[in-house]
Amino acid sequence: MRATYFFLVLSVFLLALLILVVHSYLRRIRTEKRPYGSWEKLLGRLSAVNRENVVLIALSLVDESGQRRGPENDANLDGAQIWSMIGGIEGLETLERNCAVLVDLVYYVQQRYPEALVIAEQLRLDAREIEWHIGRLKSAAKVGRAEKAFPEHAEQVAAIYYVMTRRVLALYERWNLPGLVELQRAL
Amino acid sequence: MHLTGIDLLFWAAGFIAHVTLLLVLWVRHRAATFPIFTILIASYVIRTVVLYFTALAGSKNAYLLAYLSLGSVDLTLQLCVVYEMASHVFRPLGNWAPDARIRLAWIVLASIAIAAGLTWLSAIPPAHTVLRTTLIRGNFFSAVLMTELFAGMIALSVTIRLPWKTHAARIAQGLGFYSFVCILIEAGHSYLGIDHDIKISADLTYFRMLTYLICVGYWIITLWLDAPAPKALPKEMEQHLLALQRQVEAHLQRLRTMGR
Repeated sequence: MRATYFFLVLSVFLLALLILVVHSYLRRIRTEKRPYGSWEKLLGRLSAVNRENVVLIALSLVDESGQRRGPENDANLDGAQIWSMIGGIEGLETLERNCAVLVDLVYYVQQRYPEALVIAEQLRLDAREIEWHIGRLKSAAKVGRAEKAFPEHAEQVAAIYYVMTRRVLALYERWNLPGLVELQRAL
Repeated sequence: MHLTGIDLLFWAAGFIAHVTLLLVLWVRHRAATFPIFTILIASYVIRTVVLYFTALAGSKNAYLLAYLSLGSVDLTLQLCVVYEMASHVFRPLGNWAPDARIRLAWIVLASIAIAAGLTWLSAIPPAHTVLRTTLIRGNFFSAVLMTELFAGMIALSVTIRLPWKTHAARIAQGLGFYSFVCILIEAGHSYLGIDHDIKISADLTYFRMLTYLICVGYWIITLWLDAPAPKALPKEMEQHLLALQRQVEAHLQRLRTMGR
């Protein structure tokens, strides 16, 4: 009886292990071929946030090149405006998910140019940290602890997100990396 | 201990294969990149010789004791090889990637727990001596643990987007595949025992040896071949990437201040 249980559990375990490894390999192959998954999927991920609003929030803090604006040019959006423009917690969640896109883009550069390892890895870690910060802000907002701080934080996050996507786009444009047109549309 | 013609053939093939692999690691300068793996293979050369003479001159019990002692060294070295492979993948800049460290620790803990659970559940071997039972269960535990660790590392590297370097991937694939087959074989041994006089039990051992020889052959070929040459990073692109990284770092500083 014990032997039957053992072989039954072992079979399930081995099957699960096999599925995990095969799935991981397939995912890797798919990522190497199309590092962002399908473009439709990517666009779907980005559509939840109002891109125009993110740009508006970001441009109230930084200019097109990513430089911080002086107080005289500050657009001064109030908290309630930022909250509604960014789409509250859901909006932040989308930005968080979009940071994963940045990791994908960097991974692709590294795949193509292994020599870029040092910089690419640093970027990958930075993107992960930004994800983490957004996650923290999101958690704080969820429990109502970030009520006052949220607008300012959300403004910063939107600005950083905006500048990051501009930079990545510039990198792709400069080196004419595959998928540029779709990326321009998506970001 | 009586050794049949096929036993001697496997012994000789194993010895030659390990020496060849050692030569490949040495001649192709892979030993410097994978020192622990090289030590593991060197230990297998010594193990083959020691076990051969023990089998030839010693009793069955002495052989099992030698096998068990060398098996413990083997498991320790294999775990060190896992660490070596993990550091090649998850320490691309010399430090453990922070997003990988905690997940890797969880994989190790979960692997140990599952391997221990499965070993506890495994059929009680018909060989009732403590030595044989320990041997069978030890082999089973180590096979499950190694397979889980390699499978976990592969899955984690894909999840957090860290690529494997060619040779590290080949070593991991070989060891992972061999450990996977070993689970099946050791599960069979736990049910049938490891008496070499019982044909089916001996056949399982031969199958394990054959699988291992195939893996060694795979390592000899893949470690002899050079990894594909990386595409050179244009200087200008490097500057561009560096500028991007600096900017992201500056943004991060702002975020870090916000968090305080």
